[in-house]
Amino acid sequence: MRGMGRREFLRTSGVGLGVGLLGGGCATAMKGDFAPKTSRRVVVVGGGWGGATAAKYVRLGDPAIEVILLEPNRQFVSCPFSNLVLSGVRTLDSITFDYASLRRHGVRLIHEAASAVDPAARRVRVGEGYLEYDRVVVAPGVEFQWEQVEGLAQNQDKVLHAWKAGPQTQALAEQIRAMPDGGVFVLTIPPAAYRCPPGPYERACQVAWYLKQSKPRSKLVILDANQNIISKTALFRAAWREYPNIDYRASNKVVKVDPGAREVTTDFGDKVKYDVVNLIPPQRAGTIAVQADLVGADKRWCEVNHVTFESVKAPNVHVVGDSTIGLPVPKSGNVANAMGKVAAMAIVHQLNGKQPPELAPGNTCYSWVNDREAIAVVNTYRIENGKVVQIEQKLTPGQSIAVAQNSLGWARSIWNDVIG
Amino acid sequence: MQFVISLVLVLAAASVAGAGPLDHPGAMKALNCSACHGFAGQSIADTMPSLAGVWPEYFKKAIADYASGKRPSTEMEPYAKQVMQFGVDDYAAYFGSLKREPAKMPVDGAAAGRGRAAAVQCAGCHGPEGQGDRAKLVPALAGQPPGYLKSQMTLFKQDRRSPGDANLKALKAMMQGLPDSTIEDLAAYYSSLR
Repeated sequence: MRGMGRREFLRTSGVGLGVGLLGGGCATAMKGDFAPKTSRRVVVVGGGWGGATAAKYVRLGDPAIEVILLEPNRQFVSCPFSNLVLSGVRTLDSITFDYASLRRHGVRLIHEAASAVDPAARRVRVGEGYLEYDRVVVAPGVEFQWEQVEGLAQNQDKVLHAWKAGPQTQALAEQIRAMPDGGVFVLTIPPAAYRCPPGPYERACQVAWYLKQSKPRSKLVILDANQNIISKTALFRAAWREYPNIDYRASNKVVKVDPGAREVTTDFGDKVKYDVVNLIPPQRAGTIAVQADLVGADKRWCEVNHVTFESVKAPNVHVVGDSTIGLPVPKSGNVANAMGKVAAMAIVHQLNGKQPPELAPGNTCYSWVNDREAIAVVNTYRIENGKVVQIEQKLTPGQSIAVAQNSLGWARSIWNDVIG
Repeated sequence: MQFVISLVLVLAAASVAGAGPLDHPGAMKALNCSACHGFAGQSIADTMPSLAGVWPEYFKKAIADYASGKRPSTEMEPYAKQVMQFGVDDYAAYFGSLKREPAKMPVDGAAAGRGRAAAVQCAGCHGPEGQGDRAKLVPALAGQPPGYLKSQMTLFKQDRRSPGDANLKALKAMMQGLPDSTIEDLAAYYSSLR
């Protein structure tokens, strides 16, 4: 065995899953219990910032626990920094990574979607088969509430959200490039809560910066369902002073889109014409969380224990990331990453018959306001009587190149923390 | 092979949950740090310092200065307060117990060469090999990422790190005499040291 890593040993000796599964999924084999449990097992549903982190850190916490990560996408595309692809400051390629490194930690990757979680049977359904688990981490991110905007569901190919980084990011960037100078770009922001509170306002900066450079006669109309900029308010207001091409309209909730007429309608009945529209739809927890009945009475978000991230509705089910509600934290990648670690430590302790430690998340959140300067907000938290409470929130005094440089360091480090 | 198996069994018996790299009492508390400072305090980012191998007493001073605002930082002030809440001693002992791996960021060899010559004026306090002086809480510079070293020297030069600290007066006066290019050379040199 000299010179052979643990993964190679498992692969060649055929321990646990079949070679096809270790290789990344094999649809035809997925019938019945297609990967019988050989030890205590954690199944993670969703390989985003929360899920991938949880999978890796369960293995780091206790290498004797088997971890299977279910993620249909073969590539991880970072939502943070994806707004910079719209302005051409970064390429999509520079924020795209594969999942291969997680295998070094002994995480078994299956690039398939889970279709159901059955907490009573402790099973996750995949294709025609299922996986058994001791504990499951549900980390499906957000799903869009298409039905909330008339005309949206049937026009998903034309009316882009670009709110899950990937092909839509590239497609929206191309629409902006193709827009004539003098054209109107309409960005619509849904009511909170949604993924990444400052994200739409950073996007506005990036689009306005690009238009100012390349299409100086063009205009950016922002229709915000909220009463004001909901994050880093003063810093964004200051940044927008450089962008007279922004027309910001608060308390303007978009309820209808008509791609034929190139027009959106607000809840006041105002109609706004566009050349390019970026409609960020209202959001809820990922579909599997709804299917597994982990969401609350609003049918949108999942309430969790603040120390273990166990669902308040189902035993042995942990929920991390944007799907959760009730903690005083934003739906951010950094928070999802922190939740993934806290949940992983809780699971490692619980599966070893120990009391979970009381750990709390932190949030470092950068927004780029042009091609070289950024702003930031930082939040830290503690546990008080079993609940997450904020210690402090701090904002950068202004926008700067130094903050942007810090954000590059943050990105490199945290991408590695999630999937490296 | 026999030895390896025995060692694994001993580690398994000693740990909370099997032989994992998170068994130190401070390791779990420090998990929030890894988002920026790298797993086990080994930074992979140019602007982020490695925490592995930082002397516990220096770590505690830095956290106290960040938390009080003496050393101003938007990012570090809230996290320093969190570290204080959860018990700075555990974090300090954890990072202090780890051996720092030198920064992997590439440095310009010519710049490092020029920095070596310029570093004569730093050696009095930071040591001939940038190893620092633990008794006087003068930090080790060797092997830290170049971007971090450059940003800290720039903050000293602009009197934005621990402004008004009498102990740093001479250092800041010296930094104010250095052109930015020399600061870059010094950063390259100290980062290249092993």
